Amino acid sequence: MLTIEKLKAFGANTEEGLKRCVNKEDFYLRMVNKALEGDQIEQLSSALAEKNLDKAFELAHTLKGVLANLALTPLLEPINTMTELLRSRTDTDYSALLLQSQSKWTELKKLAE
Amino acid sequence: MQDMFNKYLSLRRKILVVDDELINREVLGNIINSDYDVLFAADGDEALKIIRKEEQTLSLIMLDLIMPHIDGYEVLRSMQNSPNLKRIPVIVLTADKSAEIKSLELGAADFISKPYDMPEVILARVRRLIQLAESYAMLNRTEFDALTGLYNIEFFWEYCSRYDIFFPHVQTDCIVININKFHILNELHGREYGDMILKTISSFLQNTVAKKDGFACRRSDDTFYVYIPHQPDYEQMISDLESYIQSAAGNARISLRIGIYTRTDHSEPINSGFENANTACSRGRSSYKTVITKYDNALHEKELYNERLLQETDKALQEKQFRVCFQPKYKITGAVPTLTSAEALIRWQHPTLGMISPGTFIPLFEENGLIHKLDHYVWDETAANIRAWKDKYGTSVPVSVNVSRMDIYDPNLEQELLGIVHAHNLTTSDLLLEVTESAYTDNSKQIIRTVEALRADGFRVEMDDFGSGYSSLNMLSDLPIDALKLDMGFVRNICVNEKDMKMVNLMIDIAKYLEVSVIAEGVETEEQYLRLRNAGCDIIQGYYFSKPLFPDDFEKLLVNKEWKC
Repeated sequence: MLTIEKLKAFGANTEEGLKRCVNKEDFYLRMVNKALEGDQIEQLSSALAEKNLDKAFELAHTLKGVLANLALTPLLEPINTMTELLRSRTDTDYSALLLQSQSKWTELKKLAE
Repeated sequence: MQDMFNKYLSLRRKILVVDDELINREVLGNIINSDYDVLFAADGDEALKIIRKEEQTLSLIMLDLIMPHIDGYEVLRSMQNSPNLKRIPVIVLTADKSAEIKSLELGAADFISKPYDMPEVILARVRRLIQLAESYAMLNRTEFDALTGLYNIEFFWEYCSRYDIFFPHVQTDCIVININKFHILNELHGREYGDMILKTISSFLQNTVAKKDGFACRRSDDTFYVYIPHQPDYEQMISDLESYIQSAAGNARISLRIGIYTRTDHSEPINSGFENANTACSRGRSSYKTVITKYDNALHEKELYNERLLQETDKALQEKQFRVCFQPKYKITGAVPTLTSAEALIRWQHPTLGMISPGTFIPLFEENGLIHKLDHYVWDETAANIRAWKDKYGTSVPVSVNVSRMDIYDPNLEQELLGIVHAHNLTTSDLLLEVTESAYTDNSKQIIRTVEALRADGFRVEMDDFGSGYSSLNMLSDLPIDALKLDMGFVRNICVNEKDMKMVNLMIDIAKYLEVSVIAEGVETEEQYLRLRNAGCDIIQGYYFSKPLFPDDFEKLLVNKEWKC
């Protein structure tokens, strides 16, 4: 089960995240849990594999917004970099960034179990 | 009303949050739901459905730009294309600075950056934007006329005065435009049609007047005001307006009356400029064609003067400010001219305006129906004077009084005249009645009946202004009259224009044929007198013999009735 302490240990800027949730801890944790229910990272991975940069940008951009709002910094950093590259539809090798994202995503999911 | 307004102010406003990402929607909703009711939409399509359904109640939309299918830009575009949706303010939710210009162009009012770092700042910006939008909507609603989109009068005055401040040396025109018989148009074709005409005029004014740096408002139902830099001529503009209206009006004929006042002194209040334009406009009333009237100060002064006279008439009659005088008429058929009768004339001795000529107030009274009161006054005063002379000198002469066109239609005329005669213990032969020729041609049957009744009572009737009306020879032979009084216009010119002399000869011949006497008035010179006498005229009235005299002077003539040169 997620707690503020676990998130802090993960590297999330919980102070910022809580502030955005008007300091409602329950709400904040609920939102993080909800974020983890999605499969956006997998979808992003597929879009990149298919070289569908438009779709990849949409997915990365959305994910970036969510992660930024919840201040999940370790996840936000690689997604943010991908979003900016994808904004100009840069055709490059995203595997390292994707791997970093997937690893942090898995780590966070484990914390939530 | 105030209670209702306060209640409205304290109502929780409704905000729509549009974001394809649930977490973002929830986080933002959580920030604003303390103060607002929040609706959510997950994409542009859903957002537009909610916006259309809630267009009357939505106070704000918080819109993400990048969404699948219909994105935020498309939502903004759709709202811009709809006048009803355009009024709802939109805050764009974006982390992308470059999106701001495009969003602004599409009507966004503000931006909030993602992530939502300062919830209290977001709330404050939401609150301020809703207040601004509501104030603007309120202002917008009062600034413009709901039907036509032109300014309302209060804003119009405000823009006029601002114009004068910015352009103090520009000569301007105040124009009032009114639709002739607009209520009839509404009744005949329905209110919707009337509204369509009003909108057509407004649309023309909005386009045309703005091109000339002017502006317009709808003053009331069918009255428009235009304030515009002075133009030397409005013929073309009004003709274009007429064509524009006619193209929308179908078969109905629509005409306008237009009043223009040119304002040279900007220190004069703007509304008095429009009052003057209104005065000019009202002169074109009752016309079936479009009339443009420019304000004429002299004419307006005359109207004010006339209005004052009308308002003071009753008081003047009570205070006997009207004075009756008598112009003698001399019989010239004998060896020496002999006083035979007189004509009662009226003067208004006004306490502050001085002596007012009958030429000023009689046409005015005829127009307003006051002439009947004045005639009655003259009849009574005349009868009183005749009575006084009879009592003082044991003698008098008959005096002719005017019976106006309006009196003829009064069913009590006969009783009224008889009443006056009896009240002063006179006989009907003491009063002669002068009826103008044109009255006979108005409704000859009625007038003949009335005059016949009066003659049967013993009154003698003179046809006044003979030659100025349109009597047919056929009608003349049937007329129950005792004398023809030649129109002064002919008499005045008999020595300068041979044609007029010939006309007078002809009229005298007609009188002889009808076996009635001929009276010439306005005789001022000996030459005129001699010509008339030679032509066979019976009775002469005019300055050559005597000016009109007040009773004290006139009664001196009664002692010696012969005229002395």
